[in-house]
Amino acid sequence: MHLPPLLQRRFVLVTGKGGVGKSTVAAVLARLSARAGRRTLVCELNTRERIPGLFGQQPVGGEVTRIADNLWSVNIQPDMAMEEYALMKLRFRTLYRFVFENPVVRNMVRIIPGVHHLLMMGKAFNHEREVEADGRPTWDTIIVDAPATGHGLTFFQLPRVIRDAVPAGNLHREAADMWALLTDPRRTAVHLVTLPEELPVRETVELHGRLTRDLGMPLGHLFVNMMPPPLLDGAQAELFARMAEPAAGTPLHDLWATGRIRMGREALAGSYRRQLEALHMPLVELPILYTRDFGPDQIGALADRLLEQSR
Amino acid sequence: MTPLGESRLLVTAGAGGVGKTTVAAALAVGGALAGKRTAVLTIDPARRLADSLGLGQLTGELRAVDPAIFTRAGLEPAGELWAMMLDVHTTSDQMVRRFAPDADTARAILDNKYYRYFSTSLSGSQEYMAVEQVRALVSDPRFDLVILDTPPAADALDFLDAPDRLIEALDSKAMQMLQTSRGGGLGARLLGKGRELIVRSLNTLTGGQFLEDLVEFLGVFGSILDALKDASQQVRVMLRADTTRFLLVTTPTVSHVDEALHFQATLAERGFPFGGFIANRVHHALPEAAEGTLAGLAQGVLPEVALDARVALLQRLACGQRAHNRMAERDAATLQPLVAARAEALAEIPLFPLDVRDLRGLARVAGYLPLRG
Repeated sequence: MHLPPLLQRRFVLVTGKGGVGKSTVAAVLARLSARAGRRTLVCELNTRERIPGLFGQQPVGGEVTRIADNLWSVNIQPDMAMEEYALMKLRFRTLYRFVFENPVVRNMVRIIPGVHHLLMMGKAFNHEREVEADGRPTWDTIIVDAPATGHGLTFFQLPRVIRDAVPAGNLHREAADMWALLTDPRRTAVHLVTLPEELPVRETVELHGRLTRDLGMPLGHLFVNMMPPPLLDGAQAELFARMAEPAAGTPLHDLWATGRIRMGREALAGSYRRQLEALHMPLVELPILYTRDFGPDQIGALADRLLEQSR
Repeated sequence: MTPLGESRLLVTAGAGGVGKTTVAAALAVGGALAGKRTAVLTIDPARRLADSLGLGQLTGELRAVDPAIFTRAGLEPAGELWAMMLDVHTTSDQMVRRFAPDADTARAILDNKYYRYFSTSLSGSQEYMAVEQVRALVSDPRFDLVILDTPPAADALDFLDAPDRLIEALDSKAMQMLQTSRGGGLGARLLGKGRELIVRSLNTLTGGQFLEDLVEFLGVFGSILDALKDASQQVRVMLRADTTRFLLVTTPTVSHVDEALHFQATLAERGFPFGGFIANRVHHALPEAAEGTLAGLAQGVLPEVALDARVALLQRLACGQRAHNRMAERDAATLQPLVAARAEALAEIPLFPLDVRDLRGLARVAGYLPLRG
């Protein structure tokens, strides 16, 4: 099956302001990737899980779990990531316990800021390197539902900060490798998600600047989520604009009020969308689906829309 | 319990993008209109908020909103409205200067290569600074009401935790050892059997000088710890005071509602006073026009246009009503868990056709908020 350009890189990070629909976009991309026959893993980072629910499944927790054909999901937990990393380096569980169950050490780890983020990122990163017995990579696509913007930037730049702050050794090497992956345009794509609203758009413009100028991360597509589809065609919109406000409390007034809310939202969304064009990123729109429920069917419908736009 | 309307500190919390800043500003406008001397502290560089308050730009400096701007919006504030933005750099530097025993120590901390990194770029630091700033505002006799707009809820737990975590970390054995012992390397500072093994293992994990450097930083920083500890104790008391309320802002989005509930549970668990949920941008059901009535209704509009076109227009609008109402149903279902949790404590702000971008808009939003309860 045809694989849209927005899925041609293996390590896919989805980021944006909180509540703009990052999980929805991650789920839609996962759906497309899995449909194209690629073994796909979606990583959520220590959050209330959304991905399994969008595929009609229960939360999966910290274990990689199959949630649909070709599709696996995991909610990375910092403590488990820590254990995994420590075991990889220390090799012995008893030694791990001895060191990490020491209360003094536990406290030290807690007060060093950023450790948890680094560990979660490290775990996602390890999935990228994971291989099968025959040397084939375990995952064809890894999608990371990254933290909301403010935190996202901290999160993204952490490997570089650590690489530069720690002169040598394991931590330095890990951080340097991670940073190399994050900035490699052949392997990694950072997709931005936003809403056609004021604050999300402004934050996206800032995020775009920081990602490209300060971090040099390879961008993918810009997703504009929840675009209101036009209710009226051009001629009808003109008629509507000429319509005088009907007497309050009448059915006609109710109809008019509906049109006013909707036309207002559409115009607003259109103007914010135009501001985003200045970023010169390939732009994809996901429409508001006016349905009572939002679940697997809606994810499927949005995946179809996405495919139409990315041919 | 003190009624919500008599609170001294209102904290708006919620996920990013729910409109916390707008709600915080509306609360502040509502407070000023109700005769209170109100100060609002925002975390985001909320430019639109600054514009709507006629402040041009919000800075780390507290500024009063010109009463003339209220008058132009047709409003009569009996109180005052002040606003400022959290400036992490400045607040953190001020804290160091205030709490350091002498100027040389302050300089040593401010110049340490890890100081910037710890004080600004990593999670948790913004929260420390926000609570520190709000502590200063609440104890300022110029204000009756302080509104704090917090960082997004992914950090909200961090935010609530900040003072407690600080105290806990400062009280921890590790810190005491780091503070008191000098020389002999990290190994000598860690108590207990097998400390050499622990240190070797930690060094394997981190490599290089990192731990030693960190210990050195904490050593210098240690000199202001006692003062910080007192300050965070005060914050701890302030956040749990009877005159403080946490208002949880959400939208009818599953993840936002989840976070609001999660946050409410956390408030209860840790003894912080919950003041209510505020659901923003809610589709409220519109009366639907029955399909059969549209042809009749079309008679009453745009007489110069062909009847077919008028009917077709009304049909599309009716279609829009049904779509809007399906969203209203989805919104109601999404908000249901909040109703189940505390029905009486849910305030809803409807979806407006336009962004809220001036004082009048903020006053309109304030009309939906629980300011008097």
